Amino acid sequence: MAEALILDSEAVNALANASQRGTLAERARAILTIAHERRALVRVPAPVLSEVCRGPRFDAAVDRLLHGRGIAVIELTRGMAQRAGALLARSRLSSAHAVDAFVVASALSFEAAVIATGDPDDIRRLSAGQKQVRVFPV
Amino acid sequence: MTQSVAKLSVSVPSELAKAVRRRVGARGLSRFVARALTHELEREQLGSFLAELDAEAGLISAPELARARRVWPKR
Repeated sequence: MAEALILDSEAVNALANASQRGTLAERARAILTIAHERRALVRVPAPVLSEVCRGPRFDAAVDRLLHGRGIAVIELTRGMAQRAGALLARSRLSSAHAVDAFVVASALSFEAAVIATGDPDDIRRLSAGQKQVRVFPV
Repeated sequence: MTQSVAKLSVSVPSELAKAVRRRVGARGLSRFVARALTHELEREQLGSFLAELDAEAGLISAPELARARRVWPKR
């Protein structure tokens, strides 16, 4: 499978509200630009939406980002959920980090992936030893 | 849920057609083409979105682009 850029909640928020997010938005735009240069897919794991969708006032910007901008959602599957659980167990993290685990499990479904995240420490812990995954802090 | 489908008739160089059929077989052709079209469409859309953001917020600084490139070296 192709290379991918995986966006976690901080990156999604930064791109959805780019005019209000200063440096965060610039960093997210920078990695999005490199993804475009590398012809990579850009994906948002479905569980990330549970962290960024907080009702109509906030959701409109996220909906716009995910419509016609070349950024698609990875639907949650049983296999993905089980892989996320295994990552949590291996990393000795609680299910409070479940969304981070879904982000890493999604990245592992690609040949190579970069994760744009506001939480690099936990993402690095969950992806430790996985050479095909790189972490980009926004 | 089953997606509705549309038939397209396109012309491609015959060498390309042969190579694709060799790679995916006649039965896998539609899926292969649909995946390729999706990828190209997304790429076009992403390019337009990036241009829109540049126009709204200005160009990304060289140091931020360099930082992103360091994390994602060419394969």
